[in-house]
Amino acid sequence: MNKLKTFICIIIPIVLAFAFNTKFGDVPPLLKFLNPFTGFWQNAESTSITIEKKLALKGAHNKIEILFDDKMVPHVFAQNDHDVYYAQGYVTAMHRLWQMDFQTRFAAGRISEVVGVKAIEVDRYQRRMGMVYGAENSLKGMMADPKSKEMLLAYTAGINDYIRSLSRANLPLEYKILDFKPEEWTPLKCALLLKQMSAVLAMGSDEFYMTNILKKYGPEITKDLFPDYPFKESPIIPVGTKWDFNPLPIPATPKGYTEMMTGNVKTVEKVEGIGSNNWAVSGAKTVSGSPILANDPHLDLTLPSIWYQIQLHAPGLNSYGVSLPGAPGITIGFNKDIAWGVTNVAADVLDFYQIKFKDNTHKQYWYNNEWKNTSVRYEKIKIKGGKDEIDTVYYTHHGPVVYFQKPAYARAKNVPIGNALRWIAHDQSNELMTFYLLNRGKNYDDYRKALTFYTAPAQNFIFASAEDDIAITPNGKFPLKWKNQGKFILDGTEPSNDWQGWIPAAQNPTVKNPPRNFVSSANQSSTDPSYPYYINWEFAPYERGQRINDRLTAMNKITVDSMRNLQADSYSLVAENLLPTILPLVNAEQLNASQKEAYNITSKWKYYFNANEIAASVFDLWSKKLTESIWNDDFTIADIPMRYPSRDRTIELITKDPKSKWFDNVKTPQIETLADLVNSSFKFTVDSLEKKFGPIGKDWNWGNVKGTNVPHLAKIPGFGSKKLLIGGSKSTVNAISETNGPSWRMVVELGKNVKGHGVYPGGQSGNPGSPFYDNMIDTWAQGKLNKLFFMQAADDKSGKIISTYKISKK
Amino acid sequence: MVFLIIIIASFLLQMVLPWWVVIIISFATCGIVGKTGKISFWQPFLAILFLWIGMALFKSIPNNNILATRVAEMLSVNEWPIVLAVTGILGGLVAGISGFCGYQFRKSMIHTKTTN
Repeated sequence: MNKLKTFICIIIPIVLAFAFNTKFGDVPPLLKFLNPFTGFWQNAESTSITIEKKLALKGAHNKIEILFDDKMVPHVFAQNDHDVYYAQGYVTAMHRLWQMDFQTRFAAGRISEVVGVKAIEVDRYQRRMGMVYGAENSLKGMMADPKSKEMLLAYTAGINDYIRSLSRANLPLEYKILDFKPEEWTPLKCALLLKQMSAVLAMGSDEFYMTNILKKYGPEITKDLFPDYPFKESPIIPVGTKWDFNPLPIPATPKGYTEMMTGNVKTVEKVEGIGSNNWAVSGAKTVSGSPILANDPHLDLTLPSIWYQIQLHAPGLNSYGVSLPGAPGITIGFNKDIAWGVTNVAADVLDFYQIKFKDNTHKQYWYNNEWKNTSVRYEKIKIKGGKDEIDTVYYTHHGPVVYFQKPAYARAKNVPIGNALRWIAHDQSNELMTFYLLNRGKNYDDYRKALTFYTAPAQNFIFASAEDDIAITPNGKFPLKWKNQGKFILDGTEPSNDWQGWIPAAQNPTVKNPPRNFVSSANQSSTDPSYPYYINWEFAPYERGQRINDRLTAMNKITVDSMRNLQADSYSLVAENLLPTILPLVNAEQLNASQKEAYNITSKWKYYFNANEIAASVFDLWSKKLTESIWNDDFTIADIPMRYPSRDRTIELITKDPKSKWFDNVKTPQIETLADLVNSSFKFTVDSLEKKFGPIGKDWNWGNVKGTNVPHLAKIPGFGSKKLLIGGSKSTVNAISETNGPSWRMVVELGKNVKGHGVYPGGQSGNPGSPFYDNMIDTWAQGKLNKLFFMQAADDKSGKIISTYKISKK
Repeated sequence: MVFLIIIIASFLLQMVLPWWVVIIISFATCGIVGKTGKISFWQPFLAILFLWIGMALFKSIPNNNILATRVAEMLSVNEWPIVLAVTGILGGLVAGISGFCGYQFRKSMIHTKTTN
């Protein structure tokens, strides 16, 4: 009896220790998390900080000084290249370690390692799309050049020296919640992060849907509804720009298209959102006489913020801007001579090839009239609380065969079964070099040279210099293709369907100092149809680009402030193009009281998606519902995944072809007209807004209906922003939707003393317990910008410094 | 006595060791100097309750309780003082139970020896 009691007395404390130190399901290990000595309370940072810190670090070659301004932006002053990137790695990890770690684990398909088997499809997708394979190739490119190699290794060493300095207590908060530990950083992780950027920006693919549409409706209708150039457009390279090169011969279009595969998926409307704006105006249009450059890349917004502001100063280098946590250098920014920015180019750099295998072993496939061997890559996926999984991926010369069976995973729905993926992000590349050179660039020639190193994701690189040059170049490594190659799934047995080489970098579309005195881009078509090469058949809709070009044409005596206002412009060309046609079709006599009121409000609307506009809420839902009711009957068919025609084509149909057969709902016996659809979708809109937001009133305001917010990267409740009642919409220049929008807004005025302004929705610190976690959100939400403190020297007193780190060699 | 030993030892040792050292401290202290079962539960309980709440407030007040408020929302308890109370009470309970077990352990050992 007593022995049992003795035993119980020992076992109870052990069980308690174990139970409260272990994570059960999604609940963090309770006392490990709650205890105030090593748990979350330790991550509560004081709101008043003035730190003078002296650090002796092994990886530093010489003295480094890091000064933090009142926005917690680090200004790094180093004596050599190694130290500047070493310090960048160190401070970035200090503020963003968990984010960097989590994002690169995500990229590498290693989330199951942290959260368990529920993430297995995510991991398989990442692996099977060849993310790690691509990162490994990319790393080879970066390590081949001594400069980028030094950047990578120094940055990695800085991160690792920070990781080694961590104790249990000051581990970033999310490690404590998810209960895992940081691991050693590697250069491969930098490559993975850049690949993930490619995945976000250049993984879109409609060819599976387009192939299904082609099969269902034939070439005539497909050509009519999915044209190769939009009805309305304002291309990035102004119409009439001369191409001053002799183009390479374009490969011949082969005969015949492929068979296709189908799966069980629903039709989706092409999601708009990953877009961006940039423009630069020459001194002729500004008050100061010097050029002004503006850029706002739109991404899925998260906290910790996507970008990290930093100033890097070393011999031959003094640059300020934003960096991606996990990659050395400055991606978007300026120095005293030049400023640069980027928006995405929707280049067709991802193709699927139908593969004919010899048998079910997938060891051989038919190509160029013979059997070729596949190679095999084993992907070992570790699973928390489970056994490791070995996923076998077969590679053809095109690339990996992504799936043999349809997975239950939303992001994989556009991947055709049994197809090999050819994707630019799998190729060896060295994007870091582009930013290395831009950060140090002095003039137009330096800009042009920097761009030649860039592969993917293709970007519209905008440029302005103190010498009053402005330029824009849709830039990347573009495959040399026959027209529309990759609009549909390609036959993988035919060599003529392979990529046939590359468009020479010097022949990428570009324009310098055009007569209109400005350059701009908003993801629309790179060029008009006169450009000799094929880049893609469809780009982002034209409205943002057109609005920017209209405004910039009209504007003179431009200042930083008028550029800022243009970034916050929420005028909708979609509404301007659509409402005058559809409003008169509404039969006012058949409307109930609410519908009538909504109709009157919408009739008086001036097309601005302001936060306090009720009409914007009505129009937004109405136009979506109308689009759906036009296309849903024709393009949503069980087992045949397809997509809707573009907004451009839909508006063209409504305004130019009101009697089109496509307005009829083929699923009903009677014949519907455009007016029928306009009326039913309008009534639906008002009724559903009423159901959700009550009688027409303040709650119908666009800001409230849209409900913009910035969620946490791992969607942890309480760690995101509050709901922001702000205007803007995807199709307006101020492209803020629910959780997508300008991830960084920057306006730079060049001249004798360059002046930078910028803000992003978040803060420098990635710690939810820091006052610098979300301190810039309100400024961002108000459409304002902060002055960026571009220091000339470490003792520059013109801005406010709140903290200093003095690093010496250990 | 028990209270003082535990609060001081826990404060010092938690600077370097994981949180569960309070279980060992409570168990050992009460196993050696715990006079009654009551003392062996309540004194470790109060020691850790005070120590942990004190330490939590020491970190949280200069932070304007920004983080505690976020964690409260994460744990869907709405008010941050609830997180503070849960921290103190749960820590106290674990220490109290461990102290009580330590005391009972000694008693059973002595008993075993005397019966032998």
